[in-house]
Amino acid sequence: MVEKKAKGLARAKESYQDPSYRVKQLKAKGKKIIGYLCIYPPLEMMTALDLVPYRLFGDIREPITQADSCLPTCVCPFLRSTLDLGLKGKYDFLDGVVMAHACEVGEKLAHIWRTYLTPPYSFYIDTPHTKHEAALEYHRKLLVDFKKSLESYTGKELSADKLEQAIRGWNQQRALVRELYEMKKPDPPLISGVETLQVMKALMTIPPEEGNELLREVISEVKERKDGPKKGTRLLIWGSIIDDVALIEMMEESGANVVMDDTCVGSRPFFPDVEMTTDPLDDLARRYLLDLKCPRTFEVAVFGETKKNYMADLEARFSYVRDYAKEWNVKGVILYGLRYCDIHGYEVPQIKDYFDSVGLPSIYLEHDYSEAALAPLRTRVQAFLEVLR
Amino acid sequence: MANEKKKKVIKRLKSMYPLRGLVDKMYERAVEYSKEGKPTAWCMVNWWGGDSLLRAMDIAAVYPEDYGAVCAAFGAAPKYLERANSEGFPDHMCGYARNGLGYACLMKELGRIPEGAPMGGLPKPTLLLSSGYFCDTRYKWFQALGRYLDAPQWFLEMPHPGVKESFAEGAQEYTIDFLVKELREFVAFLERLVGKKMDWDRLEEIVNDTIEMNRAWYEVNDLRKAKPCPMHSRDFWSSMPASLYVAGDPKETAVSYKNMYDEVKERIDKREAAIPEEKYRLAFAELPPWHSLAFFDELAERGWNFVVESWSYQPPKPIDLSKVSDPLERVARHTYQYFAGFFEGAYKTGEQLGYFGYPYLEYVREYKCDGLIAHPLLTCRTATNHQMYVKDRLMKVLKVPTLVVEGDIVDLKLFNPEEALRQAGPFEETMEHYRDVRRKEGLDW
Repeated sequence: MVEKKAKGLARAKESYQDPSYRVKQLKAKGKKIIGYLCIYPPLEMMTALDLVPYRLFGDIREPITQADSCLPTCVCPFLRSTLDLGLKGKYDFLDGVVMAHACEVGEKLAHIWRTYLTPPYSFYIDTPHTKHEAALEYHRKLLVDFKKSLESYTGKELSADKLEQAIRGWNQQRALVRELYEMKKPDPPLISGVETLQVMKALMTIPPEEGNELLREVISEVKERKDGPKKGTRLLIWGSIIDDVALIEMMEESGANVVMDDTCVGSRPFFPDVEMTTDPLDDLARRYLLDLKCPRTFEVAVFGETKKNYMADLEARFSYVRDYAKEWNVKGVILYGLRYCDIHGYEVPQIKDYFDSVGLPSIYLEHDYSEAALAPLRTRVQAFLEVLR
Repeated sequence: MANEKKKKVIKRLKSMYPLRGLVDKMYERAVEYSKEGKPTAWCMVNWWGGDSLLRAMDIAAVYPEDYGAVCAAFGAAPKYLERANSEGFPDHMCGYARNGLGYACLMKELGRIPEGAPMGGLPKPTLLLSSGYFCDTRYKWFQALGRYLDAPQWFLEMPHPGVKESFAEGAQEYTIDFLVKELREFVAFLERLVGKKMDWDRLEEIVNDTIEMNRAWYEVNDLRKAKPCPMHSRDFWSSMPASLYVAGDPKETAVSYKNMYDEVKERIDKREAAIPEEKYRLAFAELPPWHSLAFFDELAERGWNFVVESWSYQPPKPIDLSKVSDPLERVARHTYQYFAGFFEGAYKTGEQLGYFGYPYLEYVREYKCDGLIAHPLLTCRTATNHQMYVKDRLMKVLKVPTLVVEGDIVDLKLFNPEEALRQAGPFEETMEHYRDVRRKEGLDW
């Protein structure tokens, strides 16, 4: 396998276009590659044992032809696509998979995946859904079981030192991602939405130290270059997974600057650090249950409050997105939902209520995770941009 | 369907009617409670994880999931669905949920129960009890109800045991411990909400009655392994809400299930089937087409007897909980058993999905089924996402074929009984073929 020499944004683009290239190289050198789904499996625990976590994605350009036999058409098309790629052998390089209860179909997929793809190693984390104290304690116990399982698979001990070292490495990456996102604050932004997504996706397919190197290259390049994005209407995208640049590209071609996101191949998995105390497993349990923001976790203004206050609940659930909108000076919000994504679908009228209450225009776009279905969305995006101008 | 009303081929159990009637009483009770200023709750089905606590606190519970089916059957669903759509809820989401959201929106607008609401309607609730059992809708729907209802929402956590990780050393006990802590918090919350203390003696009694009710119901269904099968799925579906929603007093419901046991046993003794002539024994996957149940009479005429249904609506396999002193722990273990009760069999046979998946294999083997009717429901992910997997596993492991008949839980247009009936003849040939295949492979039915 020929070593690629590109750097910075070009390297990110190459990695985006051929995401498994690097891990296949590493596998040839004896590394174990562990696929994971969604943002809830603690990557630090894998890295600490010298395993390479590799995020599983679908492919909007590849027709789903094999997944129908084990996942029906009326469930998440992203998960169906991901399984389809697995059934077609495109994830054959994986040594194992780790999946968490991110959503219900994701939970079923974990078990379906190991039935049909029989990975040498697999682990399922039944991540709780609330931020109750008992749920946090339970989550930690699940992570202890995950630790034991990884130790048994690798034959190595996962010491607190190793785990802390891994946490520091990932926290460094998170800090670099936040630094990268700072470059989206100027008008025009120094890096486009398409480029950002290419970088973010690349980070999820390479080891963290290489990701950190890539981020430093990109930050340095973006700071110095003179041919960055042109000025456009500043948008934030909130919603279901976006793992292909086509949607963002369509928006940016229509005159938008996608300057901020709250999606799971964007800021969502990177913005919260693991706050380090004296027990790294406590820290991970807290970060992955309490600090990650995703509608799959139940949020309420005051836990156990007997009086309902709808606006206070909305504030508790969505004010961080309003803060993003303010800090990145966005003019409008795209609420993006994958068809059959329940956890985001139910949020739509509520987050819209919230944005209406703070005077931020928003529009809901629904996509079926296919390239062909992007065309009708273009007209709606153009109309929305017209309203914002 | 032509002549729909004339065909009553399935021999219904007399003992089913009092059980079916309990659901009507459940709705009446909630409206009465509301009129009297007593607390009411809208609940998601929680597999007995929270029901006993509500009953012990004298909170009348109704289940908007069931109400979705009721509205579909009464033809009231379209207006509620339309309202939910106009409120901006995507139309691919759960039909029951959209029905409930549309209903709540209308109720808020009117300031009262909408006129013509089936079963007297759902009263304005004091509490929304959501849960982590299975589907995301089970809590996201109720969170979205916050737009229309002033009631606080409680989320009852429920892990998903029944897979290999849940049987790691110590995992069962720490999961039970988690559930008990959650229930204790829930009790404290209920006490604050209604301003009175839990009556622990009353809870003790209700928990025991609920466990006994489910044991009696389990034993009824166990009898259906008999050949010919004395009880059709129609009677299961009419009787299950009494257990699933704890629709009446569980002590009285247990008696009703025992009466049903006697009636079913009597039929077995007389070798009496639930249909005129049992030619094929079938399992049914997930919720039936509530609005087209006469479909089953048409199939019964062809000799199709439906002998077992989805795991999701069955009671747990009975276990002895008499030595567990804390009633909350008994609740936790009872519900845990529901999820994990099939795991041992799944583990031994190398099946990954000890709930939803493997139970069908066990049912089909033990009830000697010739086929499965899979009924994917377009807007219900939970009822649907495992069905293709089950179809595949049944064929690979047991050489039992599946007929897929698509539908929905509230949208009548999505179920086409004529089309399904056209497939019946060819599917009979398929079932005959696989009887031969199974015999050749040494399977005993």
